[in-house]
Amino acid sequence: MGNQEPGPQANRTLSEQDHFEVHDLAPEVFYEQVHSFEFWFQAVQGYLSGKVYGVDPNLSAPSLPDLDRDRLITVLCNYCVGETAALEGASGLIAIAPNRHTKIFLSTQVVDEGRHLEVFLHRLRLLDVADPEGEVERRASRSLLLFKRRLLELVNGKDWEAAIFAQNVILESLEFTVFQSHAREADPVTRDLLLGIVKDERRHIGFGENELGRRLQLAPHIRARLGQVKRELDHLVLDTLEETLLELGADPVEREKLGRAYLEAAARLGLET
Amino acid sequence: MTDPLQQESTTAKDLELESRPRQRFELEDTGFDEVPPRFRKFYRRWRGPGDQLAPNEVICPVCKVVIRSTRELRPGDRVYCMPCMSRLIVVRGEDGRLEARVAY
Repeated sequence: MGNQEPGPQANRTLSEQDHFEVHDLAPEVFYEQVHSFEFWFQAVQGYLSGKVYGVDPNLSAPSLPDLDRDRLITVLCNYCVGETAALEGASGLIAIAPNRHTKIFLSTQVVDEGRHLEVFLHRLRLLDVADPEGEVERRASRSLLLFKRRLLELVNGKDWEAAIFAQNVILESLEFTVFQSHAREADPVTRDLLLGIVKDERRHIGFGENELGRRLQLAPHIRARLGQVKRELDHLVLDTLEETLLELGADPVEREKLGRAYLEAAARLGLET
Repeated sequence: MTDPLQQESTTAKDLELESRPRQRFELEDTGFDEVPPRFRKFYRRWRGPGDQLAPNEVICPVCKVVIRSTRELRPGDRVYCMPCMSRLIVVRGEDGRLEARVAY
């Protein structure tokens, strides 16, 4: 398990570091810490240091059969659409973020989303796609483009709760779920890239759920409006999920399981359909 | 005021546990690299169906990382999931195992 009950050596004098228990931090100290740029910087150093475009340079991209390559290109193009939506959404949200913590956190998310877009475009180049951005336009899912348009309308309308819900709960949960599933079956280069992104996504989904959870406790009437946004966006998200998982060759059982996973966060916030 | 989550989680097993001193655990780094070095030993990845939780561990319901403490966990304890920035409370689930719920 990696844990060891203290043996005889546990009687030694413990240093201050040995006594440290993260769960004893005061809530305000915890939030100050995890929303900081310093926390982000040290966290990403842990798993991105030494990587090139998000991938261990010792891994080489395999040659894929034509059909697999074509499917991977379509999937990566749609990942680029999702990341562009999150990049534009997160940067727009900084202006209406209600306090310093959320502004600083969102600035780290903007950096993450910019990196994600860049590494996906780079992976497309490794697949010999000559014009990745043109390919993204050609292969973009209609459902995902509609979702992106609606997300940016919420951001531009300065609707903090609805925009955070659409972006950090719905879109990020979708990405978190799909990237993990894809990584299990992907070639080594795509897998390494996706696993690095999943680590970033943990922060994004947690930020969204916790920010909305706190707001819903203070103003429960917001729940009805968010429920409406969820109903409006649900089919776009589930259509996108279905399209992507079909391209990835996921079986119906896996597709249903992943669909449920996306709905879990909404359920915890009391936003069940 | 009594926390409803804490109240809900109190069972005969928990009352018996209360009378015993808590086990202490020395945590080792498990290779978890998603938080700054100082905090890494408090988290690990879930290793799949064959994996088991120790008495000082719970799974974060938001991001599915295993949260670890230097103390045996009991219902009512508060823990933090740093990888997803969540504050959680430990409860006893319907199956008798410890679970974490998000405390917004």
